[in-house]
Parts: sequence; C-alpha cells; structure tokens
Amino acid sequence: MELLRLENVTKRFGGLVAVNKVSFTVEKGEAIGIVGPNGSGKTTLYNLINGVYFPDEGRIYFEGQDITELPTHARAPLGMARTFQIPRPFGGATTRENVAVGAMFGHAKASVDEALEIADEYLKLVGIYDKGDVEAARLTPLEKKLMEVARALAMKPKLLLLDEVMAGMNPSDIDQLIELLKRVKEEEDISIVSMVEHLMHAITKFAERVIVMHQGEKLLEGPTMEVLNHPKVVEIYLGKKVV
Amino acid sequence: MRFFEKYASLIPVLLIYAILFAIGISFPGMWQPVAFIMFYITLGQAFNIFLGLTGYVDFGYVAFLALGAYGMAIAVDNLGGANLGYGIILIGLLLAILMASILSVAVGAVALRLRGAYFAIATIGVNEGFRYFVEGARLWGGSEGIIISGDMRNIFGRETANFISTFVSDILVFIIAILAAIVTILIMNRRMGYALMAVREDEDAAKVMGINVTKYKVMAFITSASFAGLIGASAWTLKMTYVFPSDVFLITYTVEAIVIVMLGGAGTLMGPIVGGLIYGILKYYLSITLPGFQLLVLAPLLIVIVVAFPDGVVGALRRRLTGNVKKYLR
Repeated sequence: MELLRLENVTKRFGGLVAVNKVSFTVEKGEAIGIVGPNGSGKTTLYNLINGVYFPDEGRIYFEGQDITELPTHARAPLGMARTFQIPRPFGGATTRENVAVGAMFGHAKASVDEALEIADEYLKLVGIYDKGDVEAARLTPLEKKLMEVARALAMKPKLLLLDEVMAGMNPSDIDQLIELLKRVKEEEDISIVSMVEHLMHAITKFAERVIVMHQGEKLLEGPTMEVLNHPKVVEIYLGKKVV
Repeated sequence: MRFFEKYASLIPVLLIYAILFAIGISFPGMWQPVAFIMFYITLGQAFNIFLGLTGYVDFGYVAFLALGAYGMAIAVDNLGGANLGYGIILIGLLLAILMASILSVAVGAVALRLRGAYFAIATIGVNEGFRYFVEGARLWGGSEGIIISGDMRNIFGRETANFISTFVSDILVFIIAILAAIVTILIMNRRMGYALMAVREDEDAAKVMGINVTKYKVMAFITSASFAGLIGASAWTLKMTYVFPSDVFLITYTVEAIVIVMLGGAGTLMGPIVGGLIYGILKYYLSITLPGFQLLVLAPLLIVIVVAFPDGVVGALRRRLTGNVKKYLR
C-alpha cells in the first residue's frame, strides 16, 4: 500500500532549481535509500516532504491525503518523523524530556506521564538509557544522533526520514544502528527513508530500493545493488573513465 | 508520590511568601517594604510565564499592567453608585483581566508570528503607541487619567477605603503571586510546558516534532498578560486610587521585569521570586541610603550578576544540585 507520493515536485531558490520535477512513491513498510552527492537536492527534498518549504510546483500525498501545503506541525501527528543532519536537541532539557516531546506531539499523542515512559523505552532501545537525566546539550555527537533516532521513533511514525544519520559513525555503530532500524521497521511497520551521501556500504545493508539524486533531479530508481552498480552512478561519484 | 514530585517545588515558594507575610505583619514599619518587594516578585512571576517559558522578550509588557489598572479604575468610576460593596473590586479585577487579555490577543496574533528579536522590536511600539492614543484621543480621561479616591470613599466609607488602599491591595498582590506560581507549575508539568521548552530551545525542530508553536506562544502570552492586568489593577489602581497614563505606561517597569526574570533564572519557578527578592530589597534600601543613586549602583551590580550567572541564580543553583533536592527547586 502506498504511504507517500511525490508528483513532479519542484522547488526553486531564485534561479537555482534545487529540486526539479521529482516523483516517487514510498510503500508501507518499505526501506528506501536516497543517495546523491553534496548539493544534489536531498535535504531540500526532505524539507519539502516535511513542510519546512512548500514546493513551487507538484503535489505531495501522504496516505492519499494532499499535504502539499499543510504546515509542518500538522504533519507529525499524521505519522511523519525525521532526524536532522546536524542533530538539533532541545539542549537545556534532559535526554528523556527530549524523547518525551516526540511522544507527546507526534503520532503517538501521548500524555506527559505516558510520554516519559515511552521515552525510557526508546532510550533503552537505542542504548542511551543511562543518559536519560543528562542535559541533551552535553551528549556526545553519537549520543545526540541516537537521541534523535529515539525521539523520532517515540513519535510512533508511519514514515521515518533519516538525514545522514550514519555519517561520522564508526562501522560497528553503523551496523548496530542498521540492525536496530530493521528490527523496529518490522515490529512497528514503519517505512524508513534514509538519506546518505557516501555510505554506500550502509545503504546496501539497509535499503530495499534506492533513489539516486543528481543536480536536483531523480537520476535513477530501482533495486539497491542494481542501481548502485549502474555506470551513471559510478560516473557521478567517481567521474568518467579517461582511458 | 508522582504527584508530590511534580508539585514539591511549590513548597519553598509558598514558604517564602509565608515568611514575607509574617515579617510584614509582625514588625512595625515592615509592611510597606514587604509590599514593595512582593510587587516585584509578582511582576517577575507574571512576566516569567511569557518571557521565561517561551524565551521571547516583550518590550511592551507594561501596557498589560496599564490596561489592568484602567480596568479597575473604569469599574469603580462607572459602577460606584450601584451599591455592590466588595463586588465592585471583583468586577474591576475581571475587567482588568478582560482588557489585558484582549490586547494580548491582538498583539500576540500579529507579533507572535515574528521570530525572537523581530518580536521584541515589534512590541516596543505597543506601549508607547497605546499611551499616546489614550492621551491624544482623550480616552479614559486622557492625560488627566481617572481618580477614584472619591468613588472609593463614597462606596466604602473613609476608613474602609483607606484599609483597601493600604492593606487589601497588598493582600491581593500576595494572592496573585500564589496563583501565578500555581499556574506556572501547572504549565510546566503539562504538555504546554514541554511544548514551550521546545519552542525556547529550537523553534524549527519543535514544529517538526508536531508542536503548533504559534498556539502555545499565544496561550502563554495571554496567561502572562492576564496576570499583568491583575497586578496593575491591585498594586496600582487600588493602592494609589488614581491612574495617569504617564505613570502606568512606563517602560521602566518592563525593563525591571526583564531584569528580575533574567537575574533569578528565566523559565524556572523559583527564579522570579529570587530575582524579585534581590532586586526589590536592593532598590528599596538603596533608595533610602543613597537616594537618587539607586539605579547607578544597581546597573553595575546587575551586570556582574548576569555575567556570573547567565542562567540566573536559580539556573546556576539547579546545575549544582542532584537527585532528591532538585525536585524542590524548579
């Protein structure tokens, strides 16, 4: 069943076309990777799905509902959650309170007491339960990323958008996180879209399908291994063979 | 147990009020300074509900106190012959809340769509604009204001009128302070408190989490403005028995309120109380020992405190506390 659909979505910043006529769908329970070099329009695409920007052209549908011009805050309760490329914790609050905010205002719509319990549950899941009472600003970069994953999962989303969540992690942390995401995806039937610039190794382990972005356009879409070995993809990452 | 943990921080607050009240009642000549300090504590508490919990600075805040003051004056002035007794004070307080909250809805619905500094700039005009409007349009007596001392004597008789302005008005300020503390902790413990925390820390991330930021900011703004209206009605109109636009639309009070909240610790329950205590005591005694110089001494002192405790006194203290004691200080 279809969860998210983009139809010919275009976003311009002045003369720059950041996202150009992009269309794709995300099915329920699917794991998708979006790959593309720096500046290919990946983050803008997330911001359009999320409502941080509205597209200049095209429509966006979530569970069949047209959400093209729905304000950002109204999208989370429908079942959308995301993490940020550079983590954005509510620094003055504790880690537990950060995650609880997700549970309160996201799709979970929990009361304060329920939310604090949900928060503990997800902090345990991502493995930073012992940091629950620490101010979020004092977490290490890795812990901040895990906190963001916990906060997004606590929202009980149908669609989880991960923005470079694995960048800067060491390989064993990445493997652990991928295992965790796979498990949660199965248990809670979440569709996960994960965006990466370079971590092809991670995406091959995680994504069932890959979309390649290049200069604001969707270059390719298809099964992970097939797409990543495509000559065009090799070309945009490594350049053409000279000899 | 959970309930106790959530509301334990009210205990030290009420204790401080009780001590202040006891000092004022028991020692001759102390009621005046206690009332003076309580005014600043209550002003800080009311402003903290907005400035502290949302992180937005409203430079036009005193306009809400002013409208509250006018609300009480208008009620007494117009309904003086209706034989309502103490009921007229109740009507005055309700009118104060009504007028302050109407202005806050009008200002908030427009200005709270602006971010941080832009909001602060937009609100500077509100207070001055309203004052010149009242004077220029000869609204509510224009620059001559409203004098209610005669009405008060007619309604209550000379003795009771005197008692209201020297004692009842101060008691009302105490009651407002208690109510403001309860409302603050209620907000902090609920979804609204978490939403405002998120707004304060990172408004864009808050939106992505599903928080309707404008709604919660407007709610905090109206609540804070309503308390300001009550303070204006009690501490100014009932106490002074007159309202002049040049006295009530005075930006000094806004600045004092900001200083109290920042000094004590913005966004904490105990902060404005500590801030109000320090500021009120300093101002009262400096104006006796060094009359005319109190602001000169206060300014560098405040700079030192704000540099030493950027989170305010209570914020700095909370950082050092752990475990069981922490729940008593919020």
